Amino acid sequence: MISLAGRDIQHAWGKFVFTGVGLGLLIGVTLTMAGVYRGMVDDAKALLDNSGADLWVVQQGTLGPYAESSSLYDDLYRGILGMPGVTRAANVTYLTMQVHHGGQDVRAMVVGVVTGSPGQPGQPGYMVSGRRITRSHYEAVADMAAGFKLGDQIQIRRNLYTVIGLTRRMVSSSGDPMVFIPLKDAQEAQFLKDNDAIVQQRRRTAANPLFNRPGVPGLMDAVIASQSTNPYVNAVLVQINPDLSPEEVAEQIRRWKRLQVYTREQMEGILVGKLIATSAKQIGMFLVILAIVSAAIIAFIIFTLTMGKIREIAVLKLIGTRNRTIAWMILQQSLALGMIGFVVGKIAATIWAPFFPKYVLLVPQDAVSGFMVLMVICILASLLAIRTALKVDPAEAIGG
Amino acid sequence: MMLLSMNRRTMAVLAVLVPLAALFVYVALRSGPLTPVPVTVAAVETRSVTPALFGIGTIEARYTYRIGPTVAGRVKRVDVQVGDRVRAGQLLGEMDPVDFDDRIASLTAGIKRAEAAALTVKAQVLEALARKTYADAQARRYEQLLQTRLVSEEMAGARKQERDTADAGVAAARAGLDAANQASASLRADREGMITQRANLRLIAPVDGLVTARSADPGTTMVAGQPVVELVDPTSLWINARFDQLGVSGLSAGLPVRIVLRSLKGRELDGRVFRVEPLADAVTEETLAKVVFDALPEPLPPIGELAEVTVALPALPAEMVVPNASLQRMDGRMGVWLIQDNTLHFAPVKVGASDLDGQVQILEGIKSGDCVVVYSRRALTARSRIQVVARLEGASP
Amino acid sequence: MADMGEKGIHIEAICKRYGKGDTAVDALKGVDMQVFPGEVVGLIGPSGSGKSTLLKCLGAVIEPTSGRMTLGGDVIYDYGWKIPDLRALRRDKIGFVFQAPYLIPFLDVTDNIALLPMLAGRSNTESRKRALELLEALDVGHRAKAMISQLSGGEQQRVSIARALINRPPVILADEPTAPLDSERALAVIRILNQMAVQYETAVIVVTHDEKIIPTFKRIYHIRDGKTQEEAGEGRALV
Repeated sequence: MISLAGRDIQHAWGKFVFTGVGLGLLIGVTLTMAGVYRGMVDDAKALLDNSGADLWVVQQGTLGPYAESSSLYDDLYRGILGMPGVTRAANVTYLTMQVHHGGQDVRAMVVGVVTGSPGQPGQPGYMVSGRRITRSHYEAVADMAAGFKLGDQIQIRRNLYTVIGLTRRMVSSSGDPMVFIPLKDAQEAQFLKDNDAIVQQRRRTAANPLFNRPGVPGLMDAVIASQSTNPYVNAVLVQINPDLSPEEVAEQIRRWKRLQVYTREQMEGILVGKLIATSAKQIGMFLVILAIVSAAIIAFIIFTLTMGKIREIAVLKLIGTRNRTIAWMILQQSLALGMIGFVVGKIAATIWAPFFPKYVLLVPQDAVSGFMVLMVICILASLLAIRTALKVDPAEAIGG
Repeated sequence: MMLLSMNRRTMAVLAVLVPLAALFVYVALRSGPLTPVPVTVAAVETRSVTPALFGIGTIEARYTYRIGPTVAGRVKRVDVQVGDRVRAGQLLGEMDPVDFDDRIASLTAGIKRAEAAALTVKAQVLEALARKTYADAQARRYEQLLQTRLVSEEMAGARKQERDTADAGVAAARAGLDAANQASASLRADREGMITQRANLRLIAPVDGLVTARSADPGTTMVAGQPVVELVDPTSLWINARFDQLGVSGLSAGLPVRIVLRSLKGRELDGRVFRVEPLADAVTEETLAKVVFDALPEPLPPIGELAEVTVALPALPAEMVVPNASLQRMDGRMGVWLIQDNTLHFAPVKVGASDLDGQVQILEGIKSGDCVVVYSRRALTARSRIQVVARLEGASP
Repeated sequence: MADMGEKGIHIEAICKRYGKGDTAVDALKGVDMQVFPGEVVGLIGPSGSGKSTLLKCLGAVIEPTSGRMTLGGDVIYDYGWKIPDLRALRRDKIGFVFQAPYLIPFLDVTDNIALLPMLAGRSNTESRKRALELLEALDVGHRAKAMISQLSGGEQQRVSIARALINRPPVILADEPTAPLDSERALAVIRILNQMAVQYETAVIVVTHDEKIIPTFKRIYHIRDGKTQEEAGEGRALV
């Protein structure tokens, strides 16, 4: 027995492959959407992994420092360092802001980290070029996604920083590249505005009679000095003794009562459950719609192909072809179309994924389950055409 | 036979499908978690590391003089402008004396009156002395007369009493003279004091210097302690530098320093550490030090300008060094990834000193010549498959 | 009454009624017909006379309302189908030649014909061998590998005749096989039919109103208003 489906595809292979490519692009879009979702979750995980911390200590009552803003005094870490089980504790600040370079602005998350000794929590893990920060001011390590090169001078608020190292996949949970600078510079950047704003602030202080008393020389200077310092950080990152459970150590720190502490699992839950949840639902709905659209398109294509052969199908039935054989021919074509579409879609998704502005993560499980779903869709979509083909009356082949 | 009779159509279809399948396989293998991680490596070298300390500071004057009144008053005139050079002793300005001059005049008059009063009292003393002399003589004569019984005891006694009275009168008059002298001395002292205070209203430069601030103009009311003019000694400029406490070991006086001023980026000036402050900044966790220029730059940099200082510490003996980008943390320990016999494993190390270019001494944990992973495209685990490349793509040298 | 045991096709009192009640239409009102192996018989009638209906009944495509049909010695219909698998019947016992060739465009000439024995379960090689033999016999062997679109009308018609013959069916039903052809080609087709009928002992019924070939029939059935009437044809010899 010859393969009727195979012969038909061979005969009209151009149309078939062309349709398959078109379908493939649609499938590629679907796979990419799944990749976008996975990329978002991976961004969140990367953020947590790259901070090198086991515990996050933040302002009490907040979900910070990523999901909500949190402010702590910068000397709190000393007390935390003294708690049992804590091997390292370091301040860290996060601020998403514009970084200027060569006349262009890049949106980045500026992370203030404690420099001066390697391995402090908050510092990036692996690097792709350059070195870690060694000076206590005006050096920066940037992520490749920001587009900076080694040696570039970037401007953050009022200071210029030299990029001395590059990293990869160090991004915030919304996909903004990270730029690491020394903590003190970051505290100043978080707080001190540009020169115009500082001058305005001084003028307002000078105009306030409470602060500018003639009988108390030096009061105004003291007030301005206090307005120009920033003793706050966003979180304290803690590394603990690996033999202890993070929850134990976290519970001890929580007993300080004015601090909230999250373990790695809790942070993941917050990031994925709160920050990403809405986007995840959005993508999920989109995937469902894409699946329905793909099914509809496949059904339409197969139906059209079958209708174009309806005379031949009538003749086949007349000369004695079994219904089963005809149905199998249509189903085979549907599956073949699906397979071509999948191959094209997977290739397309892999080729265009790196060009997306945010990280797109294509995992093999998604491809495999996508393939299964696609085959099921092909089978279901061919049912309409099969039903129509089987209802054809062979007597129509005999005219009149 | 069937293979040979494949027609052109089949060939055409295969010509499309076979490359497609090949591309698919290629894509499956080259991307995704199946692919090996590109890494770059470096050999462990044994080198001497020259650590350096980096800090930032501001230019300050060693001595700043704030010249102002010691009592509340009004500024009468200011003779200098910001930027003027003044000599020691030069008059910079003056406060309004108000009633000082009048009070001095009043005191002068008072002194004259006191002196006049003293003269009166001196005359009284002379008078008392004269009376005492007479009384003395009378007492002696009557004593002699008493011995010869020419006068009565009563009369002798009366003359003795007169003599005592006259003595007392002399004493009193002398005391009065003292008092009058003291009064005039006191008034003189008051006057001197007032004159000194009046002199204080003149603002005098204590040393040669440069006027850096003129805080009040004539007519302004000032309280005691507010400066009218600020002076610095321009030859005494130094940099008040702050070093992060975490990396400051080895800082001591006398070490050579390279200074870069914010306004003169690109030009390095030489200096040395003058003093490490005994009091550090506990709030910002920084150690303070004073750095002086070997030669003051011309023109003088403004006070308050930011400067970056790099203190060169003496070179350390040769040890194994690795780039600091290769240090990683795994399970709570610092270490590096080593490639031995094509397998990857994590070696915990003990870290020594480092320099500002990112070379770090390794004291324990690896051997010279070991191959360490420096850069990698993804985070490594013990199970990662790796592929050594010369450079990671996308990262410029 | 002919001997029912003989091969060929014999039908008796076949009626076909479409619809029910007041709107019922009697397309066939008791048709008797018999065609012996080797014979080529014409079935002639105006449109609306029921000849298409008769052809569909003969081809086991529609079910008659009443009567009897015998095909190749087996009773296939006796007031109800006597054969369980009509499709197999059509496949194995009846050959169809249509007005238009109705060949499968995505199969080549050989496979168009070899498809029938393959459907019957024969191996691919044997099916193709038989197909090739038939094509040679019909003088289109040189087009064995061509696709249908590359054939001329006459060649296509011959291929469709080969398809009708491949399974050696006892009866061939031809519906206006010469309508689109000129007289030379039409006579060629009738000649082939005659040859094949004799060679393979097949009964052939040709439904036609083509004046060019009617004189060649030895026997003709006229059908009018659902009833047939046999008459002798001219039987002109074919060169």
